[in-house]
Amino acid sequence: MKGGLRVDIKNILKNLSNLDGPSGYEHKVIEYIKSEVEKIPNTTSYIDNQGNLIVKRGGKGKKIALFAHTDEIGFVITKKEFNNYFRFHTFGGIDPKVVISQRLRIHTKNGIAYGVVGMLEPHLQTEEIRQRVLTFDDLFIDVVENSEYVSIGDLATFSSEAFELNEKYIAGKALDNRASCTSLIYTLHLLNQYVVENEVYFVFSVREEDGTSGASTSAYHINPDLAIVLDVTHGDISRPGYPKIETGKGPVLDIGPMVDYNYFEKVKNTAEKISVNYQIEPNGDHSHTDTDRIQITREGIPTLLISIPLRYMHTPYEVVNIRDIEETARLLSYFIAIGGE
Amino acid sequence: MLLKELSDLCGVSGFEQEVRNFIKEKIKDKVDDIKEDKLGNLIAFKKGKNNKKLMLSAHMDEVGFIVSNIEEDGKISIIPLGSIDPRVVLGKKVVIGEKKVTGIIGSKPVHLMTGYEGVSSFENIKVDIGVSKKQEAENKVKIGDFVSFAPNAILHKDWISGKALDDRGGCSILIDLIEANIEPFYNTYFTFVIQEETGLRGSGVAASQIDPDYAIVIETTTSGDNPEFPEARRSSELGKGPVITPAHKGYVNNEKLFNFAIKVAQENNIPYQIKRRTVGGTDAARIAITTGTPSLVISIPSRYIHSPMCVVNLQDYQNTFKLLSNIITKEVK
Amino acid sequence: MKELIKKLTTTPSPSGREEKIKQTILEELQGYIDGYKIDKLGNLIVWKKGKKEGKILLDAHMDEIGVLATYIDEKGFIRIEPIGGISPYNLLGSSIQFPEIEGFVGVEGETSEEMAKNIKNLDFDKIFIDIGAKSKEEAERLVPPGTFGVYSSSFRDLGDRIVSKAMDDRIGCAIIIEVFKRSTPIYDLYGSFSVQEEVGLVGASVVAFDIQPDVAIAVDVTAHSDTPKGLKRISLELGKGPAIKIKDSASISDRRLVEKLKYLAEKNQIPYQIEILLRGGTNAAVLQRTKAGIIAGTLSIPTRYVHSPHEMVDIMDVENAVNLLKIFVESEESINL
Repeated sequence: MKGGLRVDIKNILKNLSNLDGPSGYEHKVIEYIKSEVEKIPNTTSYIDNQGNLIVKRGGKGKKIALFAHTDEIGFVITKKEFNNYFRFHTFGGIDPKVVISQRLRIHTKNGIAYGVVGMLEPHLQTEEIRQRVLTFDDLFIDVVENSEYVSIGDLATFSSEAFELNEKYIAGKALDNRASCTSLIYTLHLLNQYVVENEVYFVFSVREEDGTSGASTSAYHINPDLAIVLDVTHGDISRPGYPKIETGKGPVLDIGPMVDYNYFEKVKNTAEKISVNYQIEPNGDHSHTDTDRIQITREGIPTLLISIPLRYMHTPYEVVNIRDIEETARLLSYFIAIGGE
Repeated sequence: MLLKELSDLCGVSGFEQEVRNFIKEKIKDKVDDIKEDKLGNLIAFKKGKNNKKLMLSAHMDEVGFIVSNIEEDGKISIIPLGSIDPRVVLGKKVVIGEKKVTGIIGSKPVHLMTGYEGVSSFENIKVDIGVSKKQEAENKVKIGDFVSFAPNAILHKDWISGKALDDRGGCSILIDLIEANIEPFYNTYFTFVIQEETGLRGSGVAASQIDPDYAIVIETTTSGDNPEFPEARRSSELGKGPVITPAHKGYVNNEKLFNFAIKVAQENNIPYQIKRRTVGGTDAARIAITTGTPSLVISIPSRYIHSPMCVVNLQDYQNTFKLLSNIITKEVK
Repeated sequence: MKELIKKLTTTPSPSGREEKIKQTILEELQGYIDGYKIDKLGNLIVWKKGKKEGKILLDAHMDEIGVLATYIDEKGFIRIEPIGGISPYNLLGSSIQFPEIEGFVGVEGETSEEMAKNIKNLDFDKIFIDIGAKSKEEAERLVPPGTFGVYSSSFRDLGDRIVSKAMDDRIGCAIIIEVFKRSTPIYDLYGSFSVQEEVGLVGASVVAFDIQPDVAIAVDVTAHSDTPKGLKRISLELGKGPAIKIKDSASISDRRLVEKLKYLAEKNQIPYQIEILLRGGTNAAVLQRTKAGIIAGTLSIPTRYVHSPHEMVDIMDVENAVNLLKIFVESEESINL
């Protein structure tokens, strides 16, 4: 092993979290990742016609491709009401309740504007309003500054600023899936400690949360022999009929019809061999990640899905354990180095 | 007709190996080429007189479950693979994993119910494998193992009842067509595909390797011909012959193929019916959107599909075979 | 252009049975294209060579929603299944045009209470078609099971506003035909008239396979918010210009294509609106994920009463869509995104 690999994972994750990249508008996130990746020797990178960042490590033989989506859930301005009020819609699945009393950052042609998603004060609420199950039709944004900049079609995101939660954790928006992007960047660094023979691709993809998946068209183009998708999954929450997945307990190896069972055994054995603590999670018909589409691309691609446990998914403050990001990268880099066998 | 043997095999979506191995053994010496692709589809080829390609497809998988958790009390939690009404699983015997561990999906005794107790969701449904502790269970099964309804087929004189007739019926027809050694008109690909029930996942992958000019999907389809369902809303009826589908979810079947199939049935005095409902989707849609292949669905009518107890009329089976054996010798016109 | 739109919208061609409209479109394009082909699924693809290397694809779907006759009862009444998103409510009090005959929609109801209940919760189980047949045999002769039908409806010219069935998406077809008629494209211009969009974006899933354009734009209808208590969360009005789509529930338009269309519209003073559609999708979704990916988006015509027998558009929106697309295909910077 080459001496002293210093990658400031926390910093990269915080930077990624603070960048705004809702589905279809990930370019700033892609640019940042590209700048990070360009520091890593033995890689070449380019951006394809869909906006995916493809990083290649030359080699021969079996082609292995890893995928992590870079987009986050977000919002779009749909209508101007009177004064500073606007209506909005979502990119990706968001619970209307978590948007209430949040400050959103709106990207206008003249720069950033901030808006508040208001909630009628309790004193004025009728019984009917109090009991209502809220939908996005009931909400509006009050743009408290620069409302004249705002136009229909402007994109917006949560405005949370990432921070360390008790050292072990990072809290912030968009850790779904910036945590996975961070882990892949770290994996790329770690790979330089091994002699890697295979041709390896790292795809930082677009439009997973909403729209048509950039990962699946990229998989079509690369046509790998093995595809590994990195996403996040629910951690530290009770799900009846499912095993309890916990943050801090290592990467989650997903199993189900969308996963290749032979490769599942191989990556599990690898984890045991190098003492990476792992967890196992079942999937039914769908995994709701890019894995589903990638597996049935072209003439079929053997797939793996590995997830990082995350709390409060699709809310303004998601939480991940840094150790899970590190351990996932440790597992992936070793697994790639042995050619996925 | 190997329908009983096929029905008794366990091949839940994503775990089709038992079915695939059985079929491969039966047909490998009777076709010009056979291969298994990267995801487990089985593709067999018989040369024809005409260089155009016909894909005849049936899916190997059946609806079932996957082990999602092993609970503290040794009970097994499951999640469905494919569309299953939770009400059909209560009081059924299942087998789990390659070791075929047997279990029961128990149901609360009526004596202990206070009034009507509603439909269970899969969260509340557990499999009992006869152990009382998590560790004991972990020695026998693991998360990710398949859970299949237990084999239960009975072959009567004119009927068969059992699990997975959707779509072992189609698989059986394809095997019969191969074993009958009929010389096909077109270069014909017999594809036994995976994971149809979980989203039409195998057939497009198979079609991509073939790029067929025509595709006919052989399915086992819904009927609804029972006293609880209005006649006007039935999908098909048992005893009235193979079902030819004009349109279903996601796809309107190709007009030329549709008319051609009817013509062949009429010319050969084979009873047939036109499917009356457009609900449900098949691999015909997947094949059409993957390779742009004009497709058709011809089905054996069945009762109670997606449950552990389906029913098929063997006359319908024979007539479906007869229709297809005539179709594959002809030019589509 | 109204005559063209009338000809297209009144041609009966539901999903899966697009022969008639295909012929009509081909006839209209005679003399304006360098070639055409019809693929295995029945999609019509036409082209006109440009001067520089590059390809633009404009897509509209040829099919309209309709019904499928599936069962004739003992008395000659016909049961139907929907083809595409046709709501049973839009059938109440309306009639269906089958190839041989017109049929009228009736509702089951053994008592007036049951009739009211059925209408409150209407579905295809409770409606039937009456073609005036007096026996099963008579009905089967005229509308054998497997027969497709479309709305009976005529084209109305109300001045700026025009009304017909099947504006979705014959208006898109008309726009593309006009673009072919009026422009001299810089790059190779392709037009695809796709099949079976209404049942699942079927035709467009494969239509761009052999073309592999640099950019693809689907031309389709979109919703509106400008009627009494209309959709409150969006802003789409007839007469305010064609709509450049940001997203719908099936796809997110490529943002660079959106910017380019906005830029060209502003530069050439063509009115336009920005569209977010809350529910619904277009062929752009499957064009975008064709093989290794194509840069794609949608240009829409705000339409009232979509999927009813009387869809309404503003002719100026349609003309402005043609103008914008003509500028796009004649502009060297169109594919440099």
